[in-house]
Amino acid sequence: MDEFAPVVDAVNGLDASAMRLEELLHRAAAFLGEQVSTRTARLYATEGLMDRPAKEGRRAVYGQRHLLQLLLVRTLARRGLSLSAIAPLVVGSDTELTDQLRLLDDEPQSQSPNRQRDEALAFLQSVRSSPVQFLGSPLSARSPSLRSSRMSGRSASASSRWHRFSLAPGVELHLSESASIPLPGERRDAWLERLFNRLREQLDVE
Amino acid sequence: MKPQLLFRPLRPAVAADGPTELDLVLSVRVPGLPPAHHRTALNLALVIDCSASMAGSKLSHARKAARFLAGALSSRDRLAIVAFDQEAAVLVPSQHVRDPHPFIGAINSLSPGSGTAIFDGWLAGATEVAEHFDAQGLNRVLLLSDGQATSGLQDADAIAEVVTGLTQRGVGTTAIGLGAGFDEDLMAAVAAAGGGTLGFIESQQHLVEFCTSEVTGLLQTAAHGLTFQLCPMDGVELLEILNDLPKCGEAEYQLPNLRYGQEFVVGLRLRLPAWSPNRDIARVTLEWQTPGGQRAERLTRELTLPVKPQGEVQKLAADEFVAEQMALLAANRERRRAIELHDIGDFTSVLRCLESIDELLASAPQTEAVCRERRLMEGHQKLIRADRNLSRKRLRSESLRSSLSIWESGGGHG
Repeated sequence: MDEFAPVVDAVNGLDASAMRLEELLHRAAAFLGEQVSTRTARLYATEGLMDRPAKEGRRAVYGQRHLLQLLLVRTLARRGLSLSAIAPLVVGSDTELTDQLRLLDDEPQSQSPNRQRDEALAFLQSVRSSPVQFLGSPLSARSPSLRSSRMSGRSASASSRWHRFSLAPGVELHLSESASIPLPGERRDAWLERLFNRLREQLDVE
Repeated sequence: MKPQLLFRPLRPAVAADGPTELDLVLSVRVPGLPPAHHRTALNLALVIDCSASMAGSKLSHARKAARFLAGALSSRDRLAIVAFDQEAAVLVPSQHVRDPHPFIGAINSLSPGSGTAIFDGWLAGATEVAEHFDAQGLNRVLLLSDGQATSGLQDADAIAEVVTGLTQRGVGTTAIGLGAGFDEDLMAAVAAAGGGTLGFIESQQHLVEFCTSEVTGLLQTAAHGLTFQLCPMDGVELLEILNDLPKCGEAEYQLPNLRYGQEFVVGLRLRLPAWSPNRDIARVTLEWQTPGGQRAERLTRELTLPVKPQGEVQKLAADEFVAEQMALLAANRERRRAIELHDIGDFTSVLRCLESIDELLASAPQTEAVCRERRLMEGHQKLIRADRNLSRKRLRSESLRSSLSIWESGGGHG
């Protein structure tokens, strides 16, 4: 789903009251381009990611709000957010849910060909210009730890003993081999807390 | 056609009255043939080692392979030719293959130099591919080397990390080691990081055969960027995954690209407490991209099995395919131990390790694949005495079959 504004408009224009679960999932699938199983939807309801359905007699019924919640949960999950990270985002008012979906319009998941090309070229450029010819890939479990990288990720031709780690898109850490990192434990925790406070001070100044 | 995900347990039930150690195979395959009306465009860079060791017949065969590539591609495809010795040179910048002659002319002019700047060569080729990134096609660097890196960045982990970074941005890498002198650990790390094929070409005559297979494989790619996430349910413990799959997140593993009709199996061993009927054991989510697809697609399957008394479960017939695959995967993994022993020069223990692999295979159903594997073991026991370098290269290649797309001479992709 590249464009959310039309989707939000379409959802808002739906007569989406008193749907049965199958109909809710059918409508969600039309917007998402993927099927959502009843088991998944019930899991979302159990986990608090979707409001409990209303009752009409013995029948569970769903409305427009459920549809907005389901679209938001699936879209964010596809972007890699965990369910626990998504949970706080789906408890707002209908207007807030709508705004969340509109916001996603500004950062489409699918990348334009030029953007993909630019990202690949920018990455290669950063590799060329890196002082130690070593650059962390986007942070993931595949990335080596800081400690192991300091031991092994080193350019044979490097004259400088600095290492760069990509912590998040647009955020890098430059670490000198001479930096003294305390061993794991209370001293390490206190050291990290001091770094965190320094970072927060820098951001607050801006 | 989308990938299919299938659970195949060794025995089709778990125990109601006691713990179960459950061996099962997770099969991922894309059925069918590539759509006849659609051919994926290829955006390739061939990066050729021109160090002194390539002089003579190796370079001659590299020229032949490059000429084949230029001839096999169409005007929709792009190709760049990069050569490297102690530095890299772009011989033909990336362009559509409307006429193979400019490529062939440049390839014929290749002459060997000194030094082996593998990373610089890769970087030049990767830049050519990235500059003409084709979101609808497949973008890949084909890196060919016969030696050890002697210039520029040489650390395999550091090179692999950069290659991984580019793979995550849509440009993959295939690594081709030629002859007996290349660095199999570096080339394996590059192919694993690049999500591409690993080709160990012992005889240069097989180079064109490899290129044919690679182009065919690329054109038949049904899914790339494949990962699977395994979530054992409450009480279920994942004992081991028999494949050496790169991890790319919490309980998330990277799989090689899949071609139409190809099956990839993952061997799992789970431990369950006494189980109740209709209760999910694990959930597996597969994620992939199709060539030209703009976003990842996803498939989730839950594993549920019938529940029986423990005594009855043990009496159930074992699935021969699962037994075979588990034995083959375990044999691949054990080769890593043989390589470790090889590296410390303890060849007596290497031989003992090879014997224990054969014993493991002897206890599995004697299918064609298992018998072939036992013949390989027999060959290794002789080769370790005659040519330790070649023996190590073969062991490394075979050990990676359960995590990478490996090209095997005469047998195509493994």
